[in-house]
Amino acid sequence: MGNLIGLAWRLLRGGGRRGLLGAGLTAAAVAISTALLLFTVAVNFAFQGRADREAWRNPVAAADGAVAVESVRTDHVRGQRITVVNLTALKPGVPAPPGLTRFPAPGEVWFSPALAELAGSLPAGQLADRFPGRRAGTVEEGTLVHPGELLVVRGQTPDSPELTVRAPGYADRDRGVGPVRISSFAGRHTDEAVGYQILGVVASVLMVVPLLVFGGAAARLTVARRDQRLAALRLVGATPGQVVTMTVAEAVITAFCGALLGLVLYGVCSPLLTGIEVAGGSWFLADLWPGAPAVAGVLVAVPLLVGLSAVAGLRRVVVSPLGVARRETPPAMRFIRVVALLAALATVPVVGGMGAGVGIFALSLGLAFGAVNLAGPWVVGRIGRIVARTARGPARLLAGRRLIDDPRSAWRTVSGVAMIGFIAGFIGLLVPDSGLFGSPDAAVLRVSAPPARLSEVAGQARERLSAAGVPATVRMTGGSEGKLKVVAVTPRAHDAATLDRARTALTGLVPGGVATTAADDQRASNRMLGDIRTGVVAVLAVCFLVAIASAGITAASSVLDRRQTYALLRLAGTPLSVLNAARRSETLIPLTVMGGGTIAAGMFCALPFVYAALNTTGLTVLLTCVVLGFAGVVGAGAASAPLLRSVTADPAPRPD
Amino acid sequence: MNVVLEGIGLVKRFGPAVALGGVGLAVRGGEAVAIMGPSGSGKSTLLHCLAGIMKPDEGEVRLLDRRIDTMGERERSALRRTRFGFVFQFGQLLPELPADENVALPLMLGDVSRADAVRRAREWFAPLGLAGMEERRPGELSGGQAQRVAIARALVTRPAVIFADEPTGALDQATGQETMRLLVEATKHNGASLVVVTHDPEVARWCDRVVEVRDGRVLPDPRGTAPAVATVPAAPAAAGPGGWDRETGAGR
Repeated sequence: MGNLIGLAWRLLRGGGRRGLLGAGLTAAAVAISTALLLFTVAVNFAFQGRADREAWRNPVAAADGAVAVESVRTDHVRGQRITVVNLTALKPGVPAPPGLTRFPAPGEVWFSPALAELAGSLPAGQLADRFPGRRAGTVEEGTLVHPGELLVVRGQTPDSPELTVRAPGYADRDRGVGPVRISSFAGRHTDEAVGYQILGVVASVLMVVPLLVFGGAAARLTVARRDQRLAALRLVGATPGQVVTMTVAEAVITAFCGALLGLVLYGVCSPLLTGIEVAGGSWFLADLWPGAPAVAGVLVAVPLLVGLSAVAGLRRVVVSPLGVARRETPPAMRFIRVVALLAALATVPVVGGMGAGVGIFALSLGLAFGAVNLAGPWVVGRIGRIVARTARGPARLLAGRRLIDDPRSAWRTVSGVAMIGFIAGFIGLLVPDSGLFGSPDAAVLRVSAPPARLSEVAGQARERLSAAGVPATVRMTGGSEGKLKVVAVTPRAHDAATLDRARTALTGLVPGGVATTAADDQRASNRMLGDIRTGVVAVLAVCFLVAIASAGITAASSVLDRRQTYALLRLAGTPLSVLNAARRSETLIPLTVMGGGTIAAGMFCALPFVYAALNTTGLTVLLTCVVLGFAGVVGAGAASAPLLRSVTADPAPRPD
Repeated sequence: MNVVLEGIGLVKRFGPAVALGGVGLAVRGGEAVAIMGPSGSGKSTLLHCLAGIMKPDEGEVRLLDRRIDTMGERERSALRRTRFGFVFQFGQLLPELPADENVALPLMLGDVSRADAVRRAREWFAPLGLAGMEERRPGELSGGQAQRVAIARALVTRPAVIFADEPTGALDQATGQETMRLLVEATKHNGASLVVVTHDPEVARWCDRVVEVRDGRVLPDPRGTAPAVATVPAAPAAAGPGGWDRETGAGR
């Protein structure tokens, strides 16, 4: 075993410039794949971390042994959300809430650093006056949901209205929670946080498959050269086991170096990645570190998968020492691949319809996605037969025969982009339209009030606004929140400063109530929709990057693998344009068919969640993907045209 | 016979190394010329220059009074496709294509319709002893069979000159001899000239004339014109594959 690995290592090092270039390209591709995979994994940990840090502000009522009372409400300033936490201790010695050095005493306020800065920079009448009290300290930045979060923790007396009155309009989390008697600050994940976690899982599943395909493509980069060499080893009597060991050793050594490189790459890039804003904020650097076990898992799994991919590529050599040296008609691929795809596709709507857990759905989605990859080569082979049968010119004939000859390799070139068709089809049906909620009114502040006190509250509102010097119209309306009546305040001036002065003046008008505009109330939902769109763009961008890089690598390795054939064809007078046209057809024909097929499959998988027809945003996403996909594959192929020119310029074809 | 292909004062350098140091060679119509010499003598470079694969640094190459060394790559490509045929030691068949399509490919590249190209390609199979192998892929053919398919492919466009670089290098002696016989006979029967690069005197014996190359120069031939073993009369260029039989080597 040691001998074999040693020999593999010597072969790897002694592979010459071309061999080293191949190994280098493989390592580079594995590095990119690993870095992106780490990011994909980290995203889930990051959302988990945010959810954990936010949980204490989503209090759970204590069955017994309550130590404190907590209420949470949401205020707004300058279009940003402020989380206001009111706390009072029911007995001495209650532990400090996360981020505070001690439990806040009545009359104390603790600002997050960003809120403290904002309160300092804005006139008190616009923000600071809303939270009167003694500034006892700053909430530690690292315990916030995200850097720059606006949070205020206020210590209240047990009889404070904020902690005794269940404020009107507290129907949803957007407006506030509580008051709740709590026994600890454990809390539970908010629905919003869970929503983001689910989106994170779906995005990961969608990205993992293209990344694995990319890793596989990288492994094949040098496999043709290895094929020849290992076939020679088989001819001199190496056993299949020895050949496999050497292959695995060589591939794994290369891939492991690539994976380490990927870890470094991810480390270097993660400060940049923290700047991506999701759910209203950027990330802490620590959020994007998935933890040692996950990193170790990726570093082990990637080289292992690359090794497996290399073994799969060598199966024919192991079966027969002449398997590579002599090209025979490859056995037709089994229809079972298509059956597997259909079966996997069939489970998705069933699982989705059952309302099964996220994990199970993600698994079935991943399976369907993987099955597309399994059925791809079969379809490519079929397309090849049709193209070869109907070809009139040499370029299409060459393309068709090549597709029949090695459908797996042809599929590898287009698979990444075709897989994006699946993602685009899936997302295209699900992505929310930007105009889903229309444009909500941002000029009218509303405060819910009990019907009996409506006139009283309206009167107080007029007094407060007048005292604050904010000219405004105050009306009493029916409101849309059940039996509650609403006092609607329309400041005469519509600028943000006036609005924030009005908000400040109206603070505490109704115990626990917050004056909000319709735009404020929809901010969280709109932000989530916006984040979904950002996520879609991010997932598609990563996948396109990977797919096009993978198409480029495969195209280049295919030119290298077939350089002798190409050189001889060119030598015998075949114009380069015919060779390039054949290469183009080889990718574009399967891409057209498979791209269409995968888009349909993706849409099919999205069906259980669709409540509306394809909207403009979805259609835009789809069409952009189709255009980018074709342009990317054509570009990736064209990028290897100079390579084709240079390898065919060698006038003396010799075997390697 | 008039001169079909002529290289005059050909010089080719690779860095400091001089591969050809002023070589001249004339090939007459229907003539089979063997270029012999040890490895590194410059014989393959000479073939590449004559065939328009490489441009010589000095000197000229003429095909029927047209200078080809000054042509652009596109023009030389077209010339190689239409006026020349090539047979190499190995690997010249496309592994993906069945034998008949391999032979038909040069015709298709010349805009002959696929059906017509394949029909014309298949006419070469029986005379070359390849009947029934039309749909086999190169991997399913023996070395000798694959070389015969390559010969058919070289001849299918009815070129003026066939260039062969060590055409029997990968074959055993008996198969090599048989392949050489077929190559020379089929070429001559079609009125084409043959230029064979080889280091094997047995191969050279099939040719009308042997040119020895050493260190980038043609050696003076002490015997004048080397005697040719194969004495196949040149047939009119119009003769098709059907008018010639490999067993007898004569037109029917």
